[in-house]
Order: sequence, then structure tokens, then C-alpha cells
Amino acid sequence: MTPALNLWVQERVNKTQMSNLGRMWLRFRRNRAALLSLVFIIMLMFLALAGPHLNHWTYSDQVLKNANEPPGNGYWFGTDSLGRDLFTRVWHGTRISLLIGLFTGLCSVTIGAVYGSISGFVGGLTDEIMMKIVEILYAIPFLFYVILLMLLLDPGVNTIVLSLAVVSWLGTARIVRGQVLKIKEEEYILAARILGAGKGRIIMRHLIPNTMGPLIVMVTVTIPDAIFAEAFLSFLGLGVSFPVASLGYLVNEGIQGIRSYPWQLLYPAVLLSLIILAFNLIADGLRDAFDPKTNS
Amino acid sequence: MANRSAGIPIICLFLVVLVIAGCNTQEIGEIEEQVLTFNLSSEPESIDPGRASGQPDLTLVNAVMEGLTRYNLQSEIEPAMAEDWEISEDGRLYTFYIRDDVQWSNGDPVTAYDFEYAWKRVLEPEYASSYAYQLYSIKNAAAYNDPENTEVNSSDMVGVEALNETVLEVVLEAPASHFLSLTAFPTFFPVHKGTAEADPDWFTSPETYVNNGPFKISGWEEHQRFICEKNDSYWDKDNVNLQRLVFTLVSEESTALAMYETDDLDMVYNIPAQELDRLKADPNSGLVIGSDLAVAKYIFNITEPPLDDVKVRKALAKSIHRNELVEHVTKAGEKPAYAYVPYGLPDINPQDDFRKAGGDYFKENIEKARELLKSAGFPEGEGFPELELLINDSQDNIRLAQAVQEMWKQNLGINIKVRPIEWRVYLGKMFDMEHDIAAAGWGADYNDPMTFLEFYASWSGNNTSGYSSDEYDEKINLAAASNDPEVRVSAMHKAESDLMEHMPMIPVYFYTQPYLVKEQVTDLLVTSFGPQAEFKWAYIEK
Repeated sequence: MTPALNLWVQERVNKTQMSNLGRMWLRFRRNRAALLSLVFIIMLMFLALAGPHLNHWTYSDQVLKNANEPPGNGYWFGTDSLGRDLFTRVWHGTRISLLIGLFTGLCSVTIGAVYGSISGFVGGLTDEIMMKIVEILYAIPFLFYVILLMLLLDPGVNTIVLSLAVVSWLGTARIVRGQVLKIKEEEYILAARILGAGKGRIIMRHLIPNTMGPLIVMVTVTIPDAIFAEAFLSFLGLGVSFPVASLGYLVNEGIQGIRSYPWQLLYPAVLLSLIILAFNLIADGLRDAFDPKTNS
Repeated sequence: MANRSAGIPIICLFLVVLVIAGCNTQEIGEIEEQVLTFNLSSEPESIDPGRASGQPDLTLVNAVMEGLTRYNLQSEIEPAMAEDWEISEDGRLYTFYIRDDVQWSNGDPVTAYDFEYAWKRVLEPEYASSYAYQLYSIKNAAAYNDPENTEVNSSDMVGVEALNETVLEVVLEAPASHFLSLTAFPTFFPVHKGTAEADPDWFTSPETYVNNGPFKISGWEEHQRFICEKNDSYWDKDNVNLQRLVFTLVSEESTALAMYETDDLDMVYNIPAQELDRLKADPNSGLVIGSDLAVAKYIFNITEPPLDDVKVRKALAKSIHRNELVEHVTKAGEKPAYAYVPYGLPDINPQDDFRKAGGDYFKENIEKARELLKSAGFPEGEGFPELELLINDSQDNIRLAQAVQEMWKQNLGINIKVRPIEWRVYLGKMFDMEHDIAAAGWGADYNDPMTFLEFYASWSGNNTSGYSSDEYDEKINLAAASNDPEVRVSAMHKAESDLMEHMPMIPVYFYTQPYLVKEQVTDLLVTSFGPQAEFKWAYIEK
């Protein structure tokens, strides 16, 4: 094939992809709840960045004699049991929770997509072995090895992301493999192969872009899962290191005084629920947008 | 109960409580009036009197068993299984006379032989009771219990012997004025010899449990509750007013509190500190702040830098605001500690308080602390390594540790990492000296400052600080060997002063013991060591 032809083919493929994404966006926009959730999440990200700087407290500043102050009096969300500003802590916690969610989502997609497409594309014995490995990893109880990891490594954000990332890509890998198995029989792959494209190129340029739909849905599902898993781990005391607190740990702290100081539980719990709900609604919207069947 | 297999514990508990309530009204109206429900918090590890060691074990065993003596409502020792006793002139020979009319729950009489058998059983090295040392004031007991000792190898050489069914003779190593209060402790309780010999696991189910106390176990649902009924074969049953005693095993503190507030529990220990302000403000809550003989402290590992430098240790000690901690974090009326031995222990004159006589040994002083840290080579905390503060992972511990962490950061400019871990791992790390700083509490085993001071002797198995000082050991030895209160107590004061000079640990505060008890519960004795409560005389006032 001449270079010019090669370029032309490439151009065509890219264009189809672009218009595909455009169509998806159109469909997504029609889903009110999903769109609203997206706006909400973007707003939250902004607040998570700016929120801790909106007053003069830092997340660890404690004034013990102001412990358990109700909202108002210079503390917008009140204070926690050690006289720390709950407003700052809640947004700082949101930042940590979102960070953990996004990082885990990213790891899940990167590892999952590469692993899944190699497995599906190469096929045969390689596929068999790679998928068996995934199944074995699936079989190890989550909490069991998280606790082991916590003993080996220092507890903290890194350890949590690492331990969540270790499991989160498994589902993605399976889905991508399934997609690849289907796609690799398509004629344009055959064409690319005939034109002399290498395996790496086919995977990176053709297979992965064409599994984008399910992948993006996977990310939006993984993020709330990761945030929730972190909250759960923090709740068990396996979370980030003190005095840093994620939303999950703030909920845990709030429960201690639930009958005396309900606001300490209210703010982080409501925020955590809304974040998880919003991500799930976005995932829902994306799935509908990517799936032509629901659109008919 | 059909609901036992329900999955979610809290729901399950509520269901059980509902079912209990249902049963009561249907079955016997009279029982409903005299039922007391007490939260033991956790499953007892063993209700074999010889092995009972945790508070749940001791509380339960004390309710269903009885020793030679028992504490009465005035916290005085009074005769129980023993009707009377004689003490020889030199204070070393005790002769106990067992009551004629006392019975085991299987109908057999309680005899002096049962006591002899029970005590020797506890002392057997193979039996390995963690409380065996309670019996060490008996002649040859310590030697017999020590597996290394080959001289005293037969239980016959231990100074306890039943002369006949009703007479028990006890020979002590040395006069021990507190021996009669020891005989009220579960380790000294008798065991039905025939049952224990025939079935070594007799104490693991209510059907085979043979007891002699005011109550008997009628139901035992693992991890849920123990139900005890009044024991009709108890010698003093006329003075036992409760028909039924229920011990729940709710470990979640806030769940227990919720159950108390909905009248499903009559008495609760371990109240979340965050709820204390509200309970204090409510005059009807039934909150009582009991006294306690215990100290909260931070133990250093002084074998490694930078904590091998006493200046660093003192800087850390001087830069914690203890008053703020007890007022706003722990909240149960604890006293800030500027010395090691708590209030409430006797001085030379037993009426005086050891702590008040000893006074404070250091003061909080941020300026001084900074200077000390500077002279140790860390001006403004610069270059100070990030030390790890090891804590047991209860919520209130974590809050306290975070407060102290922030104080050290603000006052000294140093960062400490808080590491909450599970209790057994925590103990393991501490005994392997893998800690930098460990938050710990220590409570009295008996009513003497020695129970605290011996902790830091170089031979003490509990001393995990790495502190080892000949002068300190000498003072402890002097105090232990002497019978002259003046020599003893002044040696102990000097030892404490030594300890505060070297600071292998820093005292933070002296504990109290907050608990909730319903107004209608009457004549319930709460003790500050041993069992958590004495139920024999308790009743529900209508």
C-alpha cells in the first residue's frame, strides 16, 4: 500500500470514530439524570480542589475547646470531636475519595484493556493461561489480601489505590477480551493484517479504540466501586493514615456521636451517597448511549 | 430461638430482645419484675473459675459461683462458703470452717476437699492459668506452679489441706493481710471435684456446669447472651432478690448504648466518649462516673534513637496539654497525670493517698520542651525522624492519638505517624520491641502502688520500654522485701521519682470508669477491680 493510501484509510477510520463519539454524546445529553450527574461531579471536583482553601482552617488544625460545635459560629459545617473544621475536612475527604476513585479507574482501564486485548487477540493457549490467571485472582477474597498488603506496606492512599487496582482490572480485562474476540473476526482487521500491520499496531489502533464504549462504561462503574470500597476499608480502620480522612472515615467518625452530634455524620454521608449515585447514573447514561439497541 | 441464624447481627439482636420481651409477658408475670440485663460486652474466654481472667469471665463466674468469702454491699469481706475462720498469731495459718448447709447445683455438699482440689488444680503447671499468681501467697504455691522448679514437684507440698469435709487449713509463705479478700476472687473459687475429674470440659455447657453461687446458668447462646436464673439450692437464697439475670454480649459500644436507652439493657459499661456530654446533661440518664485504679500512658522504646535521649522523651512529655485531653477528648472526669501511680492507693499511713503524698513530678511547658528538643539536636523539630505511635484500634484511642499527634506537631514541629492495629498484633509488636511509642493503659491487680511500679523492673515481663536500671530494681526489691510500711512506701516514692526522671514512658491521665445503670436497679455493688458488678443483693425497685 502506498503511504498516501495508508493515510487515507487512517483518516476514514478516525472520522468514523469521531462521529461515533459525537453521536454518543448526543444520546448521552438526552439523558437528563446522567447529564445532571456529570455537572454535579464536575462541580464536586472543583469544590474538592478549592473547598479546603475557602477558610483559614486546615484539615488537621484542632482547637479542642471548640470540639463538637454545631454548624454556624465560624464553622460552616460545624466541628468534629477534636475541634477540627468539618467543612475543610469534608472537602479534603472528597478530594481523597475522588482521587482514589479516579486513579483506580485509570489503573483498571489501562491494565484491563491491554491485558484483555492481548489475551483475546493472541488467543489459543496464551488466552487460556491469561484468563486462568484472572480467575485465580478473582478467587482470592478481597479483604484477605488487602489486610495482608496493609501489614506489608504502610497504610495510606498509595496502599489503598494499589490494593484496589490489583482487583479492579479483572472485570475490565474480561470484558475487553470478549469484545476483542468478536472484533478481531471483523473484515477491517483482516484488511489491516493484509496491509501488513503488526499485532501491536492492530491492538493499539483498531482493537482498543473499538472497545472504547464498554471501557468507558467500565470506568464509570469502577470509580464508585473504588470509592465505596475505600469507604468500607476506612470504616474498618484499614484506610488512609491520620489525620488525613477520606469520606468513608469521616462517616466512621460521625457514627461515634450519632445521637449527640448528628451533623458530623450527615455531611460526609450525604456527600458520599451523592457521589456514588452520580457516578452510577453517569455509567447508566453512557451505557445507553453506547448501546445502539436501547436507542432504537 | 428461631431467629438465631439471622444474618445481620444488629437486627438479630433486636429480634432476640423482642422475643425475650414476648416470652416474659406470656410466661410468668412475676419473673418480669425481677430481671436484670447486664451487657458483658464480649464472650467470656472461659468460665472455668480457675481460668477466668477477663472482666466478662470474672463478672459471670462471680455471679454463679462462690468462694470462702464475698464482698458485701459495703465493700467489706463477709463469710460466704466459709461460716467462720481462725487466723493464727503469726498470721500464717488460716483455718476455714465450711458451712454445713451449702450445696452444689447437682445436690452434693460443698466440702473443704473441693477447695483443696480447685486451688491445687489452678497451681498445676500444666493447667497454665494466667491468674495462678493470685495464689502465690500460699506456702510453696509459686514453686509448685513453676515448671522449672524440681524441688516442689508434688501438690502435697502446697500449703492447703482439707482436714475433713468442713475444715480447710491454709499455710501462707508470709503473713498477708489481704488474704481474705483474695479468697473472694474467682481464682480461689471451689470446683466440684467429681465433675471436674470425670469431665475436663464440664464448664463448656450449661448442662454440665456445676456451681454453688447465687445464680445458675440456664441458657447460653454463643455470641448473644447468657441467661441465669436464681439458684434455689444456694445457702443464702433468701437474700437473692433477682429471679433472672441476663448477660448480653453486645460488643459494639453505640449499639449497647442504644439498647440501654430503649430499656433493653439495665446496665452498660464502655460508653462512647462522644456521647458522654449528652448523658451528663441528662439527669435521668443514669450515668455514674466510677473511680478506677488505672493510668493511661505512652510507652517509649528507649533502645533506639532518638528516643534513647531522655531530653527527647521529656520534650514529648512536656508538650501534651493533658487538661484539654481529659476535658474535651476523653470527657469522663479523668485526672491529668503528671506522675505514674494513680490516686486511690495507700501511703505510709493507709488513710493517706500515695499520689497526694508524692505530688507531681513534672509540668507542661512548651518553651522548655522546645529547648530540650533543640539541645537534643532537633531545633524546631528539624531532622526529627517520623516516629510511629502504636495504638489499639478502638475509636476512642484513635481520637486521643490524633489529638496528641496534632499537639506534638503544633508545639514541637514534629510529625508522628498514628498506627492503629488489632489488639493481638499490638501486643505482639510491643513485646517484640517493634514500637517507637505505644499507647497503653495499666490497671491495678491489687491495692498497692507496687502493682504499678514493678512494671518497670528489669525482670518484669510487661516492661516493653527497654528501661533497665539497677538503682530502680534495688528500690523495688527493698519495697517488696520489707514489712515496715515506712521503708516500703518511701522506697516506692523514690522508685517513682527515678522513673519520672528517666521517663521510659509518659503518663497522660488517670482513668475513671463511667457506666450507665437504670434508676430502678437497687443494691447493685460496682467494684473497681475484679468482677464489674456484684449481683447477689440487687433487685429492681418498682
